[in-house]
Amino acid sequence: MRRLTLAVVLSFVLSLFATALYAADTLDLSIPLPLTGGQAKFGEMEKRSYEIAAEEINAKGGIKGKKVVLTFEDSQGKPEISRAIAEKLIDVKKQPVLVGEYSSSCSKAIAAVANERKTPYLVVTGADDSITQQHYKYVFRLNPSNAYYATGLISFLKEVVKPKSIAILYESSDFGTSGAEDMAKQAEKMGMKVLVKEKYEKGAVDFKPILSKVKAARPDVIYMVSYVMDASLFMKQIKELRIDAKLFAGGAAGFAIPEFIDNAKDAAEYVVTATLWSPQVKYPGAKEFAEKYKKKYADYPSYHGAEAYSALYILKDVLTRAKSMNPEDIRAAMKATNMVTAFGPIKFEDKEGYQNQNFMDTLVLQVMKGEHETIWPKQYASKKYIYPIPTWRERR
Amino acid sequence: MKKYFPLIALALLSILPLIGLSTYMMHIVILVVMWSIIGMAWNLLGGYCGQVSFGHAAYFGVGAYTAGILYSKLGASPWWGVLLSIVVVTIFSFILGYVVLRLRGPFFALATLASGEVMRVTAENWVGFTGGTLGIMVHERTWVEKIWYYYIILLIAAVTYFLVKKLVESKLGYYFVAIREDQDAAESLGINTTLYKTIALCISGVLTGIAGAFYMNYMGYIDPHVVFALHDISIITIMIVMVGGVATYWGPFVGAVIMVFLAEWVRSIPGLGAAHQTLFGVLLIVIIIFLPNGIVGDYKKLKRLVGLGRTS
Amino acid sequence: MTAVQIEVFLQTLIAGLLLGGLYALIGLGMTLIMGVMKIINLAHGELMMVAMYIAYWMFVLFHIDPYLSVFIATPLLFFLGVAIQKFLINPVLKVESILPENQVILTVGIGMVLASLATMFFKSDYRSTPVSYATDAFYLSDYWKSSPIELSVSVPWSISFVIAVLITAALWFFLAKTDTGKSIRATAQDLDAALLMGVNVKLMRVATFGIGAGLVGAAGCLFIPIYYLFPALGGQFTLIAFVITILGGLGSTVGAIIGGLILGVFESMTATYIGMGWAPVGRFVIFVACLIFLPGGVASLLRKKRFGK
Repeated sequence: MRRLTLAVVLSFVLSLFATALYAADTLDLSIPLPLTGGQAKFGEMEKRSYEIAAEEINAKGGIKGKKVVLTFEDSQGKPEISRAIAEKLIDVKKQPVLVGEYSSSCSKAIAAVANERKTPYLVVTGADDSITQQHYKYVFRLNPSNAYYATGLISFLKEVVKPKSIAILYESSDFGTSGAEDMAKQAEKMGMKVLVKEKYEKGAVDFKPILSKVKAARPDVIYMVSYVMDASLFMKQIKELRIDAKLFAGGAAGFAIPEFIDNAKDAAEYVVTATLWSPQVKYPGAKEFAEKYKKKYADYPSYHGAEAYSALYILKDVLTRAKSMNPEDIRAAMKATNMVTAFGPIKFEDKEGYQNQNFMDTLVLQVMKGEHETIWPKQYASKKYIYPIPTWRERR
Repeated sequence: MKKYFPLIALALLSILPLIGLSTYMMHIVILVVMWSIIGMAWNLLGGYCGQVSFGHAAYFGVGAYTAGILYSKLGASPWWGVLLSIVVVTIFSFILGYVVLRLRGPFFALATLASGEVMRVTAENWVGFTGGTLGIMVHERTWVEKIWYYYIILLIAAVTYFLVKKLVESKLGYYFVAIREDQDAAESLGINTTLYKTIALCISGVLTGIAGAFYMNYMGYIDPHVVFALHDISIITIMIVMVGGVATYWGPFVGAVIMVFLAEWVRSIPGLGAAHQTLFGVLLIVIIIFLPNGIVGDYKKLKRLVGLGRTS
Repeated sequence: MTAVQIEVFLQTLIAGLLLGGLYALIGLGMTLIMGVMKIINLAHGELMMVAMYIAYWMFVLFHIDPYLSVFIATPLLFFLGVAIQKFLINPVLKVESILPENQVILTVGIGMVLASLATMFFKSDYRSTPVSYATDAFYLSDYWKSSPIELSVSVPWSISFVIAVLITAALWFFLAKTDTGKSIRATAQDLDAALLMGVNVKLMRVATFGIGAGLVGAAGCLFIPIYYLFPALGGQFTLIAFVITILGGLGSTVGAIIGGLILGVFESMTATYIGMGWAPVGRFVIFVACLIFLPGGVASLLRKKRFGK
């Protein structure tokens, strides 16, 4: 009995410290991601993308001659576990820089710890505006904040569609809420009338009640912010109800993932969506990454994958430029970042109330013949947009 | 000796930070202590009084939001929320108790489950007051060092422990157990069951609410999905008590160690990936099947099982 | 009321009824299990998830229509349920413990294991069975050319609804007319009396859990053509099943059907006329109201009427 207890305690202690005993010619990076639970799908996609990037970097000699070894920690999408991971990485593993996490709430938990402990943290996908509005010195964000997700789409609306009214449907999460609030503000600025603005609980089965209300209001544009498969349910049920708007628009996330088209099939045709990235952008490495991912995992990655993939390249760039491996130098190097990745140009700026935030053009995709095509802004377009779109009756 | 055991344990726990734990370990230890408070609170209502609540997230969340709203609306330090939550959660528990305590057994369980969910959706939709799904974020936490948080939560835990012990060993405790064993019999003996159930619910709710207010201070960020979570708060609470030992003083603590410490350890086993949840789920099933009264409750049985393992 | 308002109302009503029919089927399994064994089964949604994966793989690998998978998934889930009851729940029910609710935690553990096994084996990708008729619908204007309003009824939703009704009818027949069914009902009503009357209570319990699992399995097959699938999907359906069980009254088949329909219509109406964000609150408010004011559920109303009391 006693021996057993001793063995258990010993193995426990060892497992805590074993990580610190790696040889020095590798660069160990642990990345917190949700690998189980409701957000696991995106965690999984990011994990694969990090791995592809690490493989490529190692094939070209690693970072400063050191081989990159990635490990992933499952945060289950719970902030207190994300925090535990962050504390562990900073204090036990002495990792000089943090990267990763998926949701805003988990990114916030890590950001607070990272700033308190003066360790630079690169936010990869957490989109809530407030993360980079806290005057955190050590927190950098690669993805544009939520308020900017739809800038591309808004300019498309302004210049092409010129709608008079809009209906906004959104998921009751921080992502959905801030996306919808921002769209409502922009719409009013453009002189559009917001006819319906409704949220729903994620996982809802039936949107027809709310859609029939939308149908009765006859908006020009229906804008939907949905995380995942709700996007395809929306379009399928819109088709069923034959709601004819001038434009169906999605606010990134659920509308920009390949599963949207796989699932909604023909109902997805002509739907436009805001996105941060698409495999067709002309940034170096974007297409190669997308093809490599598709070859390995049978589907194209969404922008979440590209963000993760590029995050590792940013780290490579930063760590190569940093004078030493201590957090202060890494922070200085991070602040001076000015590079182009597969995700786009990266520069951490302080403006418009944000600190260390990367600003970039966001794109608009349209589904054409079952594929996402980039249609806006014009300089990034892979195909010309289709507008006006046919009504449901004409499509038969 | 046995009489002084709690004091010895408390002394040991209070010198724990002095041995130089990493902040990571301190974080886990703080969570263990916080969860054992919630466990003890639940145990008072569930273990002793027999009212199995599936909605302790409601009290936890109301406590957390008391601190959060105090901070976001009045600009006061969220630490005042720890005190204010006593008042707020008492009122809240009283009202909720009035509704749900008329029900018994599985009906009570389901009604409390619903109350937690109702609170979550309300917090999500009442944007002007709670900040909705964007939650409340404290700009800067009070301390970077964990030691103060640890002593505060340890103090709350110690108070909770002695309060629960005093209550259970008083006349009230006997009423509670009488209600648990047979509510009708208790009533026919002249025990005002509604009164005593309400008392148990209020105390249990307040203790949980204080833990919630502490959580707000400690984590610096709350949103409805986090603090009103059905699975991550309400059900974890029950598991802590059931695994540790229903109606025992130390059960919640042991349960918290298992549900937080062991879970973190299993999660950290390298190369396990998503399988850590499977492993942990199997562990829970095994504990419930072989030790239906929890580790502390079935300690003798556990000893026997292990002892058998050695001789064979 | 203008034509548009009427259209919105009717469309909402149709949506609510169709949804309610499917909800009822999820609730049926739960109501049986809770009624007969007084067990709160928190793994109910996870069992549905397992059935959905079965239907999904049948569709992908063998091109079997999800509706036909009802005949595959239901028996498989029946045996899974029997196994869970026999090897996991029964041992816990047998021993003396302070709180009988520890079986609830057992079902939580079972649900956790099922969900994480699904994550391990099938990854956490979102999946669906894109059947060819997924977005087909019947339109009122196709049948009545000059109709002032337009209503649509989805094809897959209607098929799911009809099958759900058929399964429910079959279950009702089984419980009301066969010996085994009667024994199950006896066990639900009075355990000791059933024992005295020579009912094999142990067998009935195992069978009930199996049937409950089979029913939710069938519900999974009906849901997948109109919904989607991922490992963590169980929880929300477990909650819905609870609400219906309480609304309908423990162990009552008819109650579960009416409860499901009430819930479906109520949720749809809340979504249209109050706001979809509040729909879950509405769900739990009627739930709690029913617990307090109508503890026996719809079934108790029916019974009163029948006995003229």
